[in-house]
Amino acid sequence: MPNKYDAIIIGGGHNGLINAAYLARAGLKVLVLEQRYLVGGATVTEELYPGFKYTVFSYVVSLMRPEIIRDLDLPRHGLTVLPLESTLTPLSDGTCLYRDNDHYRTLRDIARFSQRDAEAYEDYGRTMLFMAKAVKYMLGIIPPDPTKINPKDLFGLAGLGKHLLGLSEENLHMLIKLMTMSSADFLEQWFETDVLKATLAASGIIGTFLGPRSPGTAYVLLHHYMGEIDGNFRTWGFAKGGTGAIADAIASAARELGVEIQTETAVEKVMVKGGKVAGVALKNGNEFLSDVVVSSLDPNMTFLKLIDAEHLPVDLLASIKKFKFNGSSGKVNLALDAAPDLKCMPGYGPHLRGAISISPSVDYLERAYDDAKYGNFSQKPYIDIIIPSMIDPDMAPPGKHVMSCFVQYAPYNLKEGTWEERREEFGDTVINTVAEYIPNLKDIILHRQVITPLDIEQTIGLSQGNIFAGELSLSQLFFLRPAAGIAKYRTPVKNYYQCGSGTHPGGGIMGAPGRLAAMEILKDLRKPRREGQ
Amino acid sequence: MSYNYDAIIIGAGHNGLVTAAFLAKAGKKVLVLERRQCLGGAAATEEFFPGFKFNTGAHDAGLLLPEIVSKLDLQKYGLEFIDSQVEACALQPDGTPLTLWRDVKKSQEEIAHFSKTDAVKFPQFCQHLEQLTKVLAGVRTSTPPPVKDLNFRDLLPWIKSGLQLKRLGKQDMMAFLKVLPMPAIQFLDEWFESDALKGAIGASGVTGSMQGPMASGTTFMMLYHAIGSSCGFRASKFVRGGMGQLSMALAKAAKQHGAEIKTGVEVKQIVVNEYQAQSVVLANGDELSAQAIISNADPRRTFFDLVGAPNLGPQFNRMVKNIRFRGTTAKMNFALSGLPKFKGVANPGSQLSGHIIICPSLEYLERAYDDAKYGTFSKQPSLDIVLPSVLDSMFAPEGQHVMSVTMQYAPYRLKSGDWDEQKEKLAEVIIKTISKYAPNFRKLILHQHLLTPLDFERDYGLTEGSIFHGQMGLDQLLLMRPVPGWGRYRTPVENLYLCGAGTHPGGGVTGAPGYNAAREVLKDLK
Repeated sequence: MPNKYDAIIIGGGHNGLINAAYLARAGLKVLVLEQRYLVGGATVTEELYPGFKYTVFSYVVSLMRPEIIRDLDLPRHGLTVLPLESTLTPLSDGTCLYRDNDHYRTLRDIARFSQRDAEAYEDYGRTMLFMAKAVKYMLGIIPPDPTKINPKDLFGLAGLGKHLLGLSEENLHMLIKLMTMSSADFLEQWFETDVLKATLAASGIIGTFLGPRSPGTAYVLLHHYMGEIDGNFRTWGFAKGGTGAIADAIASAARELGVEIQTETAVEKVMVKGGKVAGVALKNGNEFLSDVVVSSLDPNMTFLKLIDAEHLPVDLLASIKKFKFNGSSGKVNLALDAAPDLKCMPGYGPHLRGAISISPSVDYLERAYDDAKYGNFSQKPYIDIIIPSMIDPDMAPPGKHVMSCFVQYAPYNLKEGTWEERREEFGDTVINTVAEYIPNLKDIILHRQVITPLDIEQTIGLSQGNIFAGELSLSQLFFLRPAAGIAKYRTPVKNYYQCGSGTHPGGGIMGAPGRLAAMEILKDLRKPRREGQ
Repeated sequence: MSYNYDAIIIGAGHNGLVTAAFLAKAGKKVLVLERRQCLGGAAATEEFFPGFKFNTGAHDAGLLLPEIVSKLDLQKYGLEFIDSQVEACALQPDGTPLTLWRDVKKSQEEIAHFSKTDAVKFPQFCQHLEQLTKVLAGVRTSTPPPVKDLNFRDLLPWIKSGLQLKRLGKQDMMAFLKVLPMPAIQFLDEWFESDALKGAIGASGVTGSMQGPMASGTTFMMLYHAIGSSCGFRASKFVRGGMGQLSMALAKAAKQHGAEIKTGVEVKQIVVNEYQAQSVVLANGDELSAQAIISNADPRRTFFDLVGAPNLGPQFNRMVKNIRFRGTTAKMNFALSGLPKFKGVANPGSQLSGHIIICPSLEYLERAYDDAKYGTFSKQPSLDIVLPSVLDSMFAPEGQHVMSVTMQYAPYRLKSGDWDEQKEKLAEVIIKTISKYAPNFRKLILHQHLLTPLDFERDYGLTEGSIFHGQMGLDQLLLMRPVPGWGRYRTPVENLYLCGAGTHPGGGVTGAPGYNAAREVLKDLK
């Protein structure tokens, strides 16, 4: 007779771990199963070249919900977030736009391009902050189902309506604009400097298969404005030890609460008996029994792979099959023999501790998208670079560095060739692009790791390599994420739940899906609720 | 204070005429002033060449609100619709065109040549489309509710639409919410595999808009154009005698109810005193006062050219300035000595009687948009062609024909050169594109006449040549149209109203903005 658990979580990504920790905190006996040798999913740090630690997939943190950090006491478990102090956007003419934490210095730098924009920048920052706060409300609630007329959903809709109507009329209009406009059009209403618009717009396209002129991208812009570290809004940070340190801290908190974590244990199927979850069957033939099974994997895995179709309604299967993944990002991780030297700001300096964004113009980003929409990776991609070893010296041996280059666009489906065949060509394209701005780059590369969307899918199981476990597009948000009627973390199979980024409120190292799912599960189990939950 | 009129309407576009007719019908003393000699604005029929008549702007009245036709008894005033049996003939670069009929069964047979599975799904698609558009139909005639002081009376029509949505059942209701913001390409990919079919149907999703079919919100536009249609293609109805006959019928109805209509009279200024509109000043210096001044011009012309920015608050001015117009449409008219021979068209009499579409795939359309995105007109444009003389002999002398081509994309702002200089090049691209499908085309041309977005702006008063008085993007609809917070036909200037396509629900020959505006004005005039 195998061990029986109160709850089994499939997948040890940060959402799975958070879900497990919250369930264990309520007194459940919880088991987390992770197929890889380490926990974290897309939130991992790996030493792939001796002495050099790569933030393999994700690389910065900002969206992590503060209540989770508090509830799980993550700092005590080793989480330290170091601020990322600046964003430098180099231009092809050898100059750059440099924005950092020194507010007045940033305004002076913007004023070099346009005095008017420098004035608008403050207003813009304030407005976005305010809007982010208004929208943040939605991140913390369970999406109501507008097709239901039960009191809970009506109450939820009314609450949402009240919240929205609580905004001033002007802010409500701003919110509608953010939900529907393209980031280029939205920014056009504020600024005239191309590079400023471009580098701001860039955060609206991360993880999407949309260009800066595609409606809907302004929302993603806001999504990235919701960052909160130590109560300090709009701050991006780097976790000491890389993003893997976040997963490790959560895992440590979970273990302390009694969660059992098994790595290198791949789940084959969720077992269903009498319309109810019974446990999981492993790839190695073993089984674990459990009253509750929670999938932290994406909707494709959760509904089409882990469970037999016979247990699910045909309509649901059809809408999950239509769920868009459209992976569009890749990554190049580098081990460097020396510090990179920027053409526009040579030598050492605090700018190396911030982000370097290759996004010189809106047209540049749009053309990068054009390549992808016809099935090729961008010939001149948008690249978001950080140098983790500059922020946290432990990431590389003394004097050496690691560099993380997030690349867009890299479409999962290539029109010509396969990703296996074109991996190095892709890597070269990225290096060549970066080298235009960092001339010494090619001479100092010791080792490079090229990650394609196919690698993301094969290594960590994100379908089509979508880093948000499903596109953050208007028709896939809120009560439509991942599909109508199952947006509340439940599934049609009793006691089978979902808690990954494919559910509301979506991707990023945020943890909200994992936490909200745990709350719903506990509600169903009618366990006595603790304070603060 | 005594006024010359109860209401003065600036501009005799079809919406202005609709407002005039309904106000007059309610017993108001109404004056309509039109700058041009011809009525109808962009819904007009003009004789550019002797003996050949052309629908200047719109060539189809498929979207016209049926309640306008019945309440104003327009048939009595000479409005007659012609339903072509063929809805669309989508030309293909290598072979037989795809013909879509009003009869869904016949379309199925045609689609089967392209894809058997698509043919099977087509009737279900038509039904689905009809259901989704039914909800939109109700929304068209409802004034967007005020956000801040919601009251039952304003919400009632929306509750009705909500119930309509509810009646769709859970599945379709969610489908409705889900598809509105979708890119047309995604919506159609979920249904069909044939590029020809998707191109033919999807092209209406980008009409008048500076977006490609891969952009969010283009499904909404597609549905908007399909309101009232039951055969998968967008709604289409031709007017006997040309679109001008619709405007004439509206004008006759208005006059019958006592409205005065003056053409060749340009309004120079709307006189505002203490944030209150009092009168209009004409080009000849005359001043006429009215209790309500209603502008059929687009919002930017109305507020900046007629009212003047100093009479408005800075915030409102900024919103007007931020309206995205971005005209993208050019129109080319041809007088032809005979019917062009389109490759693969076996029965020109029927196949050429509807819309002839050149948009072989949605990728073709997206690439056409790419050009415009970077500031040049499409080298391989998407064309919507009609030959009204095929069904209606009054358009051209016996045996000869007129052809009207709506071309997309022709961006108002060009990266290099200006439209006066690029015009000839665009004409050549359009002729070349048609010639690819109809090799004898060039030889048939007797006269040609091209309207670029700049011409639409200069001659028809459409800012930036935007045929919809502002893009119909998701952020410029409902309570956001024409500017956020002023979606109820009223303006910050008391007694000044808008009734054009720049207001809810937007462009196209629907008459809905005019119809709704009349209702709101009457509420205030009581």
